[in-house]
Amino acid sequence: MQVKGRRKATEYRRATGSGNRCLEGSAAQKSSFVTAASLILVLFLSSAAFFIPDRYLPGLILCDIFLVIHGLSRRGKLGVIVRVFLVQLIITMSLYYLIHGQGQLAQGALAVLRILLAFIPGWWLSVSCRAERIGEVLTWILPVKWAFVIAASIRLLPFMTVELREIYQIQCLRGARITPKFLRDPRNWPELINCVIFPLLIQLLKLSRQVAVAAQLRYFGKNKKPTHWR
Amino acid sequence: MDMVCVDMNLLKLDRVSFRYYSDSPLVLNEVSLSVRKGECHCINGPTGSGKSSLLNLIMGCLSRPFDGELHIADGVVLGLVMQDPNVQFIRQSVGAEVAFALENLAVPYDLMVGKVQAALRRVGLYVSLDMPIEQLSLGQKYRLMIAAQLVYEPDILLLDEPWAQLDDTGVEELMSVLRRLKADNVSIVLVEHNPAAFDDVVDQFWKLQDGKLTSGCFESAPVSFTRPGYVPVGKSVLAFEPFEFCFEEQSPLFLCHEHLELFEGEIVALVGDNGAGKSSLLKSIAGIQSNVRALPLAVLGKKPKLGIFGSELGLLLQRPNRQLFENTVLEEMQFSLKRFGLPLDNADRLLSELGLEHLKPHSPHTLSYGQQHLVALASLASLKPKVLLLDDPLAGLDQAFYCRVWQLLVRLSQQGTAILLSSHRQMSHMPVTRSWLLSDGVLQSEQGFMDSVNVG
Repeated sequence: MQVKGRRKATEYRRATGSGNRCLEGSAAQKSSFVTAASLILVLFLSSAAFFIPDRYLPGLILCDIFLVIHGLSRRGKLGVIVRVFLVQLIITMSLYYLIHGQGQLAQGALAVLRILLAFIPGWWLSVSCRAERIGEVLTWILPVKWAFVIAASIRLLPFMTVELREIYQIQCLRGARITPKFLRDPRNWPELINCVIFPLLIQLLKLSRQVAVAAQLRYFGKNKKPTHWR
Repeated sequence: MDMVCVDMNLLKLDRVSFRYYSDSPLVLNEVSLSVRKGECHCINGPTGSGKSSLLNLIMGCLSRPFDGELHIADGVVLGLVMQDPNVQFIRQSVGAEVAFALENLAVPYDLMVGKVQAALRRVGLYVSLDMPIEQLSLGQKYRLMIAAQLVYEPDILLLDEPWAQLDDTGVEELMSVLRRLKADNVSIVLVEHNPAAFDDVVDQFWKLQDGKLTSGCFESAPVSFTRPGYVPVGKSVLAFEPFEFCFEEQSPLFLCHEHLELFEGEIVALVGDNGAGKSSLLKSIAGIQSNVRALPLAVLGKKPKLGIFGSELGLLLQRPNRQLFENTVLEEMQFSLKRFGLPLDNADRLLSELGLEHLKPHSPHTLSYGQQHLVALASLASLKPKVLLLDDPLAGLDQAFYCRVWQLLVRLSQQGTAILLSSHRQMSHMPVTRSWLLSDGVLQSEQGFMDSVNVG
């Protein structure tokens, strides 16, 4: 049934003359190159956050400040970065305190800083480049399906952030011991995993399946060299 | 399973049977259906009757084989819009979303724009191609999903339960689109709980029940509730002074010029179109909406904040199955009772009263949509909260579950719980005490209630 249904679509594609009349505007091409450059920059900066010696961190901090300013000018929300920073700070510092005691807290703070510096370029990329353009650029080096998965994952991030917040709030209202006050006690951490992380994973699986079906119904994977909307 | 081409019909199912597992009952039992050019068929039936499975079978999305024959005429293209448009979007902007199928068909970019614009015109969506999808209303999003199918010119369009998702404006917009498509000889197959809403465009109604597809409409027991004319007023549990509701750094979403109160034992419907701000208002009342300007609001005499009300306030958000996580229904029901130190047998008693006792040992994740909905609501009801906030608690429920939810709400209100529930439709035949109407950017209480109170 699917094969017959797709026949008309294939004829339709032939009729439109794919390949020969692919006249993409220079502005669109430029946008793709800018996205490619952005991807390389993000990869470089995020990797650097983990690998460069401490003495070079101020330079990286400066780069990330520029990215934050640029991201904010593109309507990015600072609240995301602040929340990630605070969550990282609480979890990492608590772990350092529990495992190494008070003496290693400065190392813990440095680890938090490096994680934040690795996160900011990714945030900036999601704000400044469209997911579909990132997907297009990724097809230059990856199979189409992999590029789609990465682009779709980036698109789903804001949705999953909202889901995470709402599930957390629902469970807090149901009396779960997962408010910041309760989470000071590590014995309550499994409750966070049970009643927030597991339901979130279930939602993620359901959503992934629905997106996959929606993509397949619109001929995703039928052509090895798809064209791109600009 | 056999697939043959026929001339007369675009689509024909001939004695198709299907089951999900070899030991499970038949979801579809010798179902036959024919669809010709330009026809509109509506398949209705209770929740879990197999309506969506039938659409998935037609689209070839089921992983298991079926018995019988599915005939698709040569060259016929099918398009499917699933229930919730929000989970089907692949791209971020309107143009890119509609163009997705064209990309996969390798249509050159210079031909895409015209085709995308034409598809958007067919659904009456006149917005910028670069407009972010998140800025569209739910009705517009639904039409966008239809455009994303129309762009590759399907002969048959399948729609999965559009009515429950859309407000009245959205349904009216959809109706005009369907009329246009019929006029263009596009065939339509829609599955729907509420077939009456599509009376104007449907040529043939079918009911799917116990796996059998027969001509006609599914009829469930009529809903009969008494609308209380006078409610004995208990204490006020929620009070608003006049306010402007606005998100930070944005202009007001809506205004309220009057003093609003919710009393013990009341059921108040908060009615407004999709996107009017109902969900955000409910979250603000529960103290979990962080990015809105402070409201002059007192709930149980306190300024709302997450976690301060304990078991006295319950909130059921949309898609309540998200909150289920325990291994059994009984454990799920007992979770909050344990945390708030309340008697655990409240859960057993409520499950018995709701006729869900047999589900106790089952995993909540194996239940039907309606059952999950009811369990999530019951887990809040077992706490006997003083204030219960429900965000569109009836969405997607068939009449049987609809009645059971109402019975539970009426019982809670009789025990003194004040209930505020949101809906995108008026509830004139339901046992609500009164309504708060949110329209044209103004929130106001339906007139009459306070008068009757004063007279009483």
